[in-house]
Amino acid sequence: MRTPTLMATLALLLAPAAEAGWLDSISKSVIKDLGGVKQEQPAGEAKPKPSKTELLISGVTDVLAGAAEVPYDTERVIGESLALEGFARYGLPVDDPELQRYVNLVGNAVARNSLRPTIPYHFVVVDSPLYNAFACPGGIIFVSSELVRSMHDESELAAVLAHEVGHVAHKHALGSIRRAQFLSGVGKLTAASMKGNQGQQFQGMIGDLQNVLFDKGLDQKLEFEADLAAMETAYRTGYDPRGMVRVLEALQAKEASATDKKGSWFSTHPPVGERLTRLRAVAAQYPDAASLSRLPERFAAQRAKLL
Amino acid sequence: MRHPLRIASALLLVLLLATAAAAQTTLWVTSQGATLKAEKKALSGTVATLTAGTALTVLETDAKWYRVTTPNGQQGWIYRGKVSDAPPAQEQSGSGGLFGAVTSSSIEAGAADTSRSIRGLSPETEQYANSAGSPQQNRDALDRLMALNVTAPELERFLQDGRIGEYAE
Repeated sequence: MRTPTLMATLALLLAPAAEAGWLDSISKSVIKDLGGVKQEQPAGEAKPKPSKTELLISGVTDVLAGAAEVPYDTERVIGESLALEGFARYGLPVDDPELQRYVNLVGNAVARNSLRPTIPYHFVVVDSPLYNAFACPGGIIFVSSELVRSMHDESELAAVLAHEVGHVAHKHALGSIRRAQFLSGVGKLTAASMKGNQGQQFQGMIGDLQNVLFDKGLDQKLEFEADLAAMETAYRTGYDPRGMVRVLEALQAKEASATDKKGSWFSTHPPVGERLTRLRAVAAQYPDAASLSRLPERFAAQRAKLL
Repeated sequence: MRHPLRIASALLLVLLLATAAAAQTTLWVTSQGATLKAEKKALSGTVATLTAGTALTVLETDAKWYRVTTPNGQQGWIYRGKVSDAPPAQEQSGSGGLFGAVTSSSIEAGAADTSRSIRGLSPETEQYANSAGSPQQNRDALDRLMALNVTAPELERFLQDGRIGEYAE
């Protein structure tokens, strides 16, 4: 008699805790996977630690702790300055206000469920034949018309924009350049004081950011981190998180025939196949992914404007 | 024989009760503009609009919804995508900023943005554009981009039209 009563009591007690924890278990599994990303170097093939000089020359290192301390308003001016260079490098916005608003709606829908939900985000489709998307510090996000053309539904667009929001949230770009450290050594910088030495430092820093985001690419582990953030953010919003997988599958199919890879995801991001392997493993951890939104029709109406 | 078994069972019960109590779930609001609903339906009445970072105590879970209590005692339902088991990172802003203070509330309200269409680029960005020799068409493109703002009601309508997330049911 006593045992079944005890068991029933325990079952009642434990059920809510187990149920409430399902979301947590996904978060934790993603965190665990992030931990795995950090150990991407195979055992026995550990790279020798680069010297300080090598780090300074290469520019790209682990995310620097100082990046977390750059205030938002400073970050925003850096982002706006870099965006000017983004238009110069990749082209001007596609002249279609309805398309631009649509991309901003999808982008903001995911951004407010991201790891950094409280800053304003701005998204822009630029007229470019390259498969590319990148994020300026502070929340200005570019996506090329060619990359949008390669997509099939809204969940894919949401995933790419959430990947870029992930870079902004983690402050990956700013954390990847040594020269950003000058920011911690100066006081209030005004438009007037930016004409002097500080202005030169600032311009140099924007140059470094262009080098990292447009040419060399961020450290691979930061890209994997943004991929995972993209799936989690899309899922939390209600989009099928496998949109990220499908975008990369489409890219993989086009890689062989892509004539110009310089300055695109093919040259600045980790190999597509490697990203897919990692993402497919994570996708399996979202039990109800197939039931979430993809919205191919709503997306097609906007994509048609790019054809 | 029975006695030690009863003690063991009692101990087990105490242990499990303690575990369940410790697991009394606290979740944090991690989405901007998250709302507490009267029922587990997106279109039900809004009990409160919650700030990101608010700690919530979970009372009940049902499918994709949590019934929760806020720190000031309000009860209602919140969609799973709006909460997390860890608080969101605090935004660094204002004091110590290179370009002057921006309060976190003005960041949240997007107040820095709403005036963009009338004032153009910030003086600091303008200074950079002059130093770097940015063409006028790129400055105009940036100005238009920063002036494009999506309002919260517009975003809700967009999600509702697409039957996304909490609007899927």
